[in-house]
Amino acid sequence: MERAVLCAEAVSKRYGGVTALAGAELRVLPGEVHALLGANGSGKSTLARILAGATAPDEGRITLDGRPVRWASPQQARRHGVAAVYQELSLLPDMTVAQNIWLAHEPLRGPWVRLREVEARTRDLLELIADTVRPGLTADTLVAELSPDERQLVEVLKALSLGPRVLILDEATASLDSRQVQRLFELVSDWRARGMAIVFISHRMEELMEVADRATVLRNGRTVAEVEVARTDPGELLSLMVGREVAVEPLARPEVAQQALLAVRALRTAKVRGVSLGLRAGEVLGLGGLQGQGQSELLLALFGAVPSQGQVVLDGRPLAPRHPRDAMRQGLAYVPGDRQAQGVLGGRSVLENLLLASWERYGRLLRLRRARSDARQMVDRLGIVTSSLDQPVATLSGGNQQKVVLGRWLLRQPRILLMDDPTKGVDVHTKAELYRLLAELRGQGVGVILHSSDDEELLGLCDRVLVMREGQVVAELAGEALTKERLLSASMGAPVGGLP
Amino acid sequence: MGRRVINPVILAVALAVGLFLLAGALQPGFLSLRQVYNVLRLAAFLGIIAAGQTLVILAGGEGIDLSVGAVATLGAILTFRLTAEWGAGPAILVALAAGLAIGGANGLGVTQLGVPPLVMTLGMTLVVEGLILAVTRGQLVGEVPRVLVALVGPTPVGAVPGVLLLWALLAGLVALLLARTRYGKHLYAVGTQRTVATLSGVRVHAVLVATYALSGLAASLGGVVILGYTQQVFLSLGDPYTLPSVAAVVVGGTALAGGQGSYWGTVVGAIVLTLLSSLLTGLQLPEALRQIIYGVVLLGLLSVYGRQRALRT
Amino acid sequence: MTRRLGTLLRGRSYALALLLALGGLAANALLQPSLLRPGVLSGNLLNTLPLVLVAAGQTLVVLGGGVDLSLGALVSLCNVTFVTLLAARASAAEVAWAATAALGLGLVGGLLNGACVALLRLQPIVATFATSFVFAGAALYVMPSPGGSVPQGLVQAYYSSPLGIPNFFWGVAALLLPWWAARRTRYGPYLYAVGGDARAAYVTGVPVALVWLTTYALAGLLAGLGALALTLSTGTGDPLVGGPMTLSSIVAVVLGGTRLRGGSGGLLGTVLGVVVLSTVQNIVAFLGVPSWWQTLINGVIVLLALASARLEVLLRRRGTWAGA
Repeated sequence: MERAVLCAEAVSKRYGGVTALAGAELRVLPGEVHALLGANGSGKSTLARILAGATAPDEGRITLDGRPVRWASPQQARRHGVAAVYQELSLLPDMTVAQNIWLAHEPLRGPWVRLREVEARTRDLLELIADTVRPGLTADTLVAELSPDERQLVEVLKALSLGPRVLILDEATASLDSRQVQRLFELVSDWRARGMAIVFISHRMEELMEVADRATVLRNGRTVAEVEVARTDPGELLSLMVGREVAVEPLARPEVAQQALLAVRALRTAKVRGVSLGLRAGEVLGLGGLQGQGQSELLLALFGAVPSQGQVVLDGRPLAPRHPRDAMRQGLAYVPGDRQAQGVLGGRSVLENLLLASWERYGRLLRLRRARSDARQMVDRLGIVTSSLDQPVATLSGGNQQKVVLGRWLLRQPRILLMDDPTKGVDVHTKAELYRLLAELRGQGVGVILHSSDDEELLGLCDRVLVMREGQVVAELAGEALTKERLLSASMGAPVGGLP
Repeated sequence: MGRRVINPVILAVALAVGLFLLAGALQPGFLSLRQVYNVLRLAAFLGIIAAGQTLVILAGGEGIDLSVGAVATLGAILTFRLTAEWGAGPAILVALAAGLAIGGANGLGVTQLGVPPLVMTLGMTLVVEGLILAVTRGQLVGEVPRVLVALVGPTPVGAVPGVLLLWALLAGLVALLLARTRYGKHLYAVGTQRTVATLSGVRVHAVLVATYALSGLAASLGGVVILGYTQQVFLSLGDPYTLPSVAAVVVGGTALAGGQGSYWGTVVGAIVLTLLSSLLTGLQLPEALRQIIYGVVLLGLLSVYGRQRALRT
Repeated sequence: MTRRLGTLLRGRSYALALLLALGGLAANALLQPSLLRPGVLSGNLLNTLPLVLVAAGQTLVVLGGGVDLSLGALVSLCNVTFVTLLAARASAAEVAWAATAALGLGLVGGLLNGACVALLRLQPIVATFATSFVFAGAALYVMPSPGGSVPQGLVQAYYSSPLGIPNFFWGVAALLLPWWAARRTRYGPYLYAVGGDARAAYVTGVPVALVWLTTYALAGLLAGLGALALTLSTGTGDPLVGGPMTLSSIVAVVLGGTRLRGGSGGLLGTVLGVVVLSTVQNIVAFLGVPSWWQTLINGVIVLLALASARLEVLLRRRGTWAGA
């Protein structure tokens, strides 16, 4: 029996009245990739943070090489060789890539930072991700100029620069495109061969199946299983996570109405270089491709949140919103995936979040009672789990927060829904509910433009997918041509056989 | 946001009551109704000016209005000068309009030019002070409207001073504004997370300009009312109210980060701060000691509930 | 040549301040040719040295993400302490003792501010507002009304030019050289990181509280140095002398290109910012503008300068979606 390098034994953690972990166990062996699985709220991230020293457990203990340890800070954990990369980045935007990577552990000569060594070692690190990011990315690039996927990779390099024995990747692939994920997996294999242990937390089942050796499943804060990945399958893992049999059901695709809704011609913004598309009522149009190719910008431009040029026609009338308010008046809605920064007002109540876009309907002196009843109806319709309308949204789980964001827009009964990676970091259950809702909206004639970094989602939900690359549409895939291989090759710029 | 077990407003009220009792113990005669009214009257000046400051701070984005003192002085001086020529009513209206305009200018500077509020309002203070000097040329001639004196001045025994009723009315209006108008909801949204507000259709710039304009209006109103009390104008009339207005908002439980808080907290905060300085004045301490004690007590108050979230959870 | 200069300056936070300073000095020299005589220019600049030192302290605090509203009062306190401890005819040892005491007081004041922000976790703006009362009161306690005097020898030494270089430049060099050295140690990245995003810095292992404590203490020390310079400049003590310096220091910091939010900027810009402020005031005074217009014009010019500083940042950010 190989000696585990890092263990969690009977760990419990409570935040106020909420139990995050109740007797969780984890055994990580050296030289393995260990997946940590669970639905949202199962405690994965809390366990990761305890292992990395960002929080202390209420009960239970952590052992390193068999000896119990008690981290006083993330710094202490790092000194002992345990480093973590979270989805919430810890980079300083006004400092360079090199400064960020080496912050707080710069190589020194006496009190002086050894700048040349810093530069050389940063270059070596950047080599590892060389052709998955743009060529202009050097040690001196300011982090503020990097796209989210590039920043995520720098964050990984930052953890790597510590030379850890255990590397925890908590949803570290959420912002990455397929090419970058592949490279990361190659690196992970490399590190594993050299004896590093990697704890891998992700919502993406295919990734886990591909890269992990063993997996631990958490449910409601407890460890329910520890399995070898080669001997199991997604269905079984899903059942363990959820606690019962789950059948993966294919989505029904109703007939698409023929009526044209939106016509876009030669739309240009800083990042979008001439995009033309059409959307019909009841259609789900997907935007695919690698991360940061202009998909988000396109949606924001249609919504009037960024300046743009070009022609947009809605229902035969020109649409040129200069502010989201204009777009909203024409029946557009924008659902972001970055909940923290763009979606929810964390400290405000569920009620205020739901009604944020609709207050003008309640008169000069707001009719709060009617507002509350409208909000309650939406909560029921979407199945938002909350103890009351006045609960601060930040206390809701990620999936429920996303429902609140969606609810805000559904209250306006929009005609076009612009969705920017809405299921990022959302648990399996809520995803299924959101998909069902989308089907409902399609049936009502709502047009949807959906950008997703999850290829499965695009394949399963969309009638057509436009693949974007460097601000332009390079392929339109529909019907039989809408396959994973074609999606990937179009994203990467390889020719897609026989299609415009 | 700090984790608070007790509602900060209630805490502040307890503090105010405690200070009152302490004052009564240290200074016989302090606990008379007349003295209470005196203190509340002084607190009203700070409270009215701090109403605008509350809105600005609620708007977040490091919002702060350091021009309130100068605008208050301007309001007082305009009223003083114009009453003799045009009568009290028009004079006061002009003063209020000037406050509104200056606040609007602050808002435009912050939104259109992207100047940080601290710096913009600081610069505006210099401009307003310069304006006052240029217009009056150091000569301060004019008349105090009688209605103001009646409003603010001493009243027959037992009657509530008019300015307190005015303050109560203002508090009610501000509470209504914050809780039951679209502007109020939008203000909280802007203060919590500006991006979310924009993406939900809120015209953030309009909200900010309106907020700073209202702050200028409140400051000017404060200056007008102070005129009724001092019955004369001087160039530093508004200065003692600038930073205490920020302190009143913070002591009242509104975080400087914005998005959370209310005007009721500021009301109590203004009373607490005024009580403190009245107490210190009444104790006949030398100026040096008074300032030191004021600073130390203020630090103590802030330690209790002006603290920020710890970096480690 | 201009293009090369442009590339060199683009992205430097102090670029605008440099242009304004050079332009201002040129305009000043045009209006007041006597300015170019050695004694006059160096004398003018020396008068700004106290503000340079105080604004340097403010810069450090702002870089770290805070602000210090008590620096002016701290200057007053150090000033009156220094004067009080000096006899009219003081020996070198007594001068050294008085100076050390004054600087020590500045350091202690700065540590108090640092403790409030780093240990008590108070918001800097209100915490330093509160401590400003403590320092101002202490200053009044030490010297209730202006008075005292400083040995003539010291004042002369202050206005001298050792090795032919005016003292102003010695002072600025003594300020900038240690700063540039400090930026090459871990303190530099620590300070900028804490100012840029304190949470991210903490999570990365930067000792945030220690950085704040050190920075406010340094600011206090610099305020003490500024007080010494001021005393040698005015030759007397005044418990209210430092008051206006607080706001001026903030304006100088912003003019110099340091971002008020923290994490970006530097001392060179602040020094240039002070030069800009002083040349503007000189020009306005020299133009013979009546005294009651001077404040207004100074204010408008400051606003314009601040606005243009922001304009430059906005132009650089063109095309990025900054929200709102």
